[in-house]
Amino acid sequence: MTDKKNKRRRITPGRAMVSTVMLFFFLAFFLLFLKDFNWQSLMLALAVPVIVLFGSVGISKLFPADTLLLSLTNFLCALGVLVLYRLSPERGLTQAVNYGIGVAAMIGCTLLIRYMPSFRFVNWAFMLGSVALLALPLVIGTEKNGANSWISFGGRSFQPSEIVKLALLISLAHMLSKRKVIVPMGFAAVCVLILAVQNDFGTALLYFGTALVLGYAATGSVLLVGAGAGGAAAAVVLGNMIIPQKFARAMSRVNVWLNPWQDVQGAGYQIVQGLIAMANGGLWGVGLGAGNATVIPEHYNDFIFAVIVNEFGMIFGLIVVAMYALIMIRGIMIARNARGVFHALLATGCAAMLALQVFVIIGGNIKLIPLTGITLPFISYGGTSLVSSLCIIGLMQGVAARNAAGVNEDRELAMQGGGWR
Amino acid sequence: MSSEAYELLAMLMRYIFVVLGAVILLWVIFQLRRDSRAHKKEMKQLPDAGLVGEVVDLDTGKSHPLPREGLMGSGSACDIRLKRRGVRRKHALFSFVDGKGLRIKPHLGSKVEMEGVQLRSSAYALHGTQVTLANAHIRIRLFAGLNVPNPAAFQPDVNRPVFEEEESMDYSAMPPFVQMPMAEEWQEEGYADPWQQPVQPLQQPLPVMPEEGDGEDYVPYQSPVVRHRRSERR
Repeated sequence: MTDKKNKRRRITPGRAMVSTVMLFFFLAFFLLFLKDFNWQSLMLALAVPVIVLFGSVGISKLFPADTLLLSLTNFLCALGVLVLYRLSPERGLTQAVNYGIGVAAMIGCTLLIRYMPSFRFVNWAFMLGSVALLALPLVIGTEKNGANSWISFGGRSFQPSEIVKLALLISLAHMLSKRKVIVPMGFAAVCVLILAVQNDFGTALLYFGTALVLGYAATGSVLLVGAGAGGAAAAVVLGNMIIPQKFARAMSRVNVWLNPWQDVQGAGYQIVQGLIAMANGGLWGVGLGAGNATVIPEHYNDFIFAVIVNEFGMIFGLIVVAMYALIMIRGIMIARNARGVFHALLATGCAAMLALQVFVIIGGNIKLIPLTGITLPFISYGGTSLVSSLCIIGLMQGVAARNAAGVNEDRELAMQGGGWR
Repeated sequence: MSSEAYELLAMLMRYIFVVLGAVILLWVIFQLRRDSRAHKKEMKQLPDAGLVGEVVDLDTGKSHPLPREGLMGSGSACDIRLKRRGVRRKHALFSFVDGKGLRIKPHLGSKVEMEGVQLRSSAYALHGTQVTLANAHIRIRLFAGLNVPNPAAFQPDVNRPVFEEEESMDYSAMPPFVQMPMAEEWQEEGYADPWQQPVQPLQQPLPVMPEEGDGEDYVPYQSPVVRHRRSERR
């Protein structure tokens, strides 16, 4: 009886963390309710903490999952819903629905990796299907923000490159685990080429970086990485010389990055407004709902980090970056504990892809590197992006579940007293 | 609420949000370190975690831990490194398959022999199987408790699966101990057949473990690890 009571009272770091996250979102949505006494905000103040509780604790009760990874992901997703709801209630609610779909997809990916014995027979289908899907916008695609990488379908639009991300990770990890290098690198190169043709240079950079990281992790060959980076640089230089009109957009972004103040009202407007918003926020921010970051073009998408820094402050912005870093560290830990080469490479690839995406978009926001049009994982507005980011977490969760099963097997073997057959 | 009042409240709350964010971050770091320590502790208790056995180098006598899957060869990136003449940097791939054994596959036509038979495709090695990679001779040893068939004569996995057609043996029809005949040369040298020797009675009675209530010498077993009941914890 006493033990039961003590167990109930015991506070673990995981429970304390989830409780703090719930308090954070209750206070944030309640503050938004006080702004205009909108009942929707009050309902969200009650619903979002419950969703966070279910997402962090409930899911891990249903099947083996890494609770820390779940909690971190849930915090960032809920932060995305909060910021988007504050900017535009409609977008916030749509993002909440996408969050639910993403959680379901994440569970599916976890179960796929946990119970699929091998990807040997589906790997080629994944690769061919990926190339076909990626090339589809060239035929029936629509252009958004200069990139012809969207497909509109039934009033909704999505980017095939977000779905192909997952197939790329699984295929590269599978082929490289079988010590095959040429085929997976060729597949990645074809994907990058298609994305470059579509003018989607941000995603192309993401694919390219992930393939290089995975290639290095699988072979340990600096030569391979050097050849890949050198080849890509040569392709960009040659392409710029042969078809300069194709690279004009990318070059203009580089010029804006070098000196955005040259054309403040034109090409440099977005990045200048982003920098001003972040500077306005200062260390502590201007307060939730009191900022004016909506003047930044694409503030709900590419520049959502600037909105967060504007309203919550630079310190909070650093906390968000630290949370992404902790997701990467957790991913690397999962990869290190993996029992098989495929699973280790898969977890490494997932961590690398998320890390690159965060670096590219936050680096673009703070003018560290040229800005490219990709989303901030879990936070930016966009259904496909959110679902695919959660699927990447699902892949990591699947590897973590496999690791846990492997430790149980080892424990059973050790219980039998060891020895030889 | 008036915009001025809301602005004041939002400016007050921004500190709370930063503090809560920092607290969440600290809890995450704390949990991460705790998990890491627990994992290290568990791995210390399970030194063979992730392994399925060992590979004994029959030329040098050294043994290498055998992971579930990996690469054999002379390269530094190999899981089992055999620096011998003729062994390629990447010589053979191996992976443990539950219920079948250790699957060994020559890498790009490398010379691999299993119990003297050259492999053209992959084959399953069992406990005690001898494998030759060019000039390196190794023996596979698998842990007890793994779900693999018992060691038997090697059959290459070229056209048919190994052990599929073998019938199970009826052990109940056999005597508990089979008397092996003594070697002829030993008989010629005058050694006595141990099976024909009468059973000698024990010279000393076996020691009896004391039980509770036997006397003052009884000392109840105590674990060397000090444990406290949860209710006694402070």
